[in-house]
Amino acid sequence: MDDRWNRMQDLPFSRLNARERAVAICNPGSFNELLCPRSKLTSPHLPAMGQTPQFDDGIVVGLGKAGKTPVVVVSQESRFVGGGVGEVHGTKMVMAIRLALRGQRILESRGRSPGDGGQVALVISFDTGGVRLQEANAGLLAHSEVMDAFQAARGKVPIIGVVGGTVGCFGGMGFVASSVDVLIMSDVGRLGLTGPGVIEEVVGTEEFDAANRALVWRTTGGRHRFITRDADFIVEDAMKAFREKVSEVAGWPLKKISEKRIIGTEEMVLEQMRLVGLAANDKIQDSWDLWRQFGNKDIEYLWDSDVSEFTAHAKRWPRGRIGERD
Amino acid sequence: MINFYGRGRDAIELIVDEGSFEENVCGGEKIDPEFAESALVGTATISGEIVTVIANDAGFANPHFRMVYAGLMGLEEGLKMAYAVYLTIKADKDKPLAEKRPIILVVDTPGMSPGKVEEIIGIYKSTGAYQLASAEARRLGHPIVAMVIGRAISGGFLCHGLQADRILALSDMFGTMIHVMPLIGIARVTKINIMLLEELAESNPVFAAGVSHFYNLGGVDGIVEEVEDMRASIETQIAEIRRLKAGGEHDKVGPWSRLMSGIRRGGRKTSEKVIELMEEEFEKALPCWLGGEDDEPTP
Repeated sequence: MDDRWNRMQDLPFSRLNARERAVAICNPGSFNELLCPRSKLTSPHLPAMGQTPQFDDGIVVGLGKAGKTPVVVVSQESRFVGGGVGEVHGTKMVMAIRLALRGQRILESRGRSPGDGGQVALVISFDTGGVRLQEANAGLLAHSEVMDAFQAARGKVPIIGVVGGTVGCFGGMGFVASSVDVLIMSDVGRLGLTGPGVIEEVVGTEEFDAANRALVWRTTGGRHRFITRDADFIVEDAMKAFREKVSEVAGWPLKKISEKRIIGTEEMVLEQMRLVGLAANDKIQDSWDLWRQFGNKDIEYLWDSDVSEFTAHAKRWPRGRIGERD
Repeated sequence: MINFYGRGRDAIELIVDEGSFEENVCGGEKIDPEFAESALVGTATISGEIVTVIANDAGFANPHFRMVYAGLMGLEEGLKMAYAVYLTIKADKDKPLAEKRPIILVVDTPGMSPGKVEEIIGIYKSTGAYQLASAEARRLGHPIVAMVIGRAISGGFLCHGLQADRILALSDMFGTMIHVMPLIGIARVTKINIMLLEELAESNPVFAAGVSHFYNLGGVDGIVEEVEDMRASIETQIAEIRRLKAGGEHDKVGPWSRLMSGIRRGGRKTSEKVIELMEEEFEKALPCWLGGEDDEPTP
């Protein structure tokens, strides 16, 4: 068991499946899956459409420990209908958040202090295109339930998001990922609302050429999201790097974790309005225009450098309200 | 039959007290009237009670962002709506639960703007910010009622509508559209035969477009058959929401309550099993996860 855990630590995060990521992000041997494939709770809708369901409906949920912190882990599987959120998938995610809150209340009722394993955290490894079209309506509603549960967890259970899979995090899950407390991404990870293919299809190739891989990553990839502060950390595409960062953050005091949020208060809305203002009237044609505005000069170097060099030299968006620092 | 596509302003007039709607004022604070005009926000009264109104006015495009037109919500629109909610919360900060002013959402949007600059800046934050603000206001006690008058489509509906306590929709007769994607689009993307999808849609509300399907899934709390009934239906909902919140029954309003309705109405039967089993397994796994009840905290 621990052998396998050790082996996974050295593998690229993007190559692991959802269950491997969930197991390997926790301390060795600590992950305990809820509603595991043996319960065979599959989508009742896919077979009628001639599609093969999967026993976990493309999402792994369980309880574990990250360092000293008890965590509820959610991990999406992009290799099953693109990680799409259907009825079972969505309800599993909503329940995971509610159970994390329940765990927290239990610890509080036992008088445990946050510094002593008394703080539950929620870790979500996103790898999804959002709503699963075969179950579109249920998937849509599940997104609203997730956002509501996030708000209920606010200030009680910190939420750590992780994006580094092959699909990334798109559609409605894009705003879910932006609503976490701390977001960790890798170079491989991508985050957005409308996927490049969809923009190309509904608006046109001149708006977005989805076949242009460099453009796709420049626009939605981890480095750009780090520059705009949508991602708090960018790490190597290695399981170990993700696990160490998650354990570290999960051990922070709740207040410090919450301060990393980018939306969720009036102040933050005013900050985002200022960021949006920079892009009005076609002033921004490419993500690199924004990088330049923040004072980044040798952009090619930043783009090609390894993650640690990039982190050390990248100039990020200076947060602030309209009228400040402009 | 009439429809309300692009007529958010007309719908507001039918809902609030005559002449009471004041644009670009929320919780007593002014909002720049030229900022994101298709996100129509303001204050009105309903039977004398002060309410915040947030609506789509599809008649306006955003001159600063090309992809904001015909009711599509862009970077600024979502943030403006979120701001209106926060101003509402702030205005009633010190008021007791029973006096938190209602927020009325008039919904008519085909979705979030799909554009390159929207992705560069991260439009997910605009919709996310508005959803979090709405969930916060709802949990603080503000009754939030969404009235779908035209289009409530995909991410647009999530952004503007689905965080409400209660969701009302004009019936299909008014051309009301609620969906993620029309069947033809689903067929194309999933490569499932359209004939099969059409047949399945008859009995399964889980993917097909339409108000009644959303009702069966719990996603719509009530269907309004006559335009003249919108106002009274909204008032009834506000009273009911206030009653539930006064009793501390926060799970009987909002998204979770709609999941429960979906289970009751038979549209989301599998979710019930998921909830039951996960709770059961969670209880069993608790001692292993958090230690037994008698475990003393380590000194």
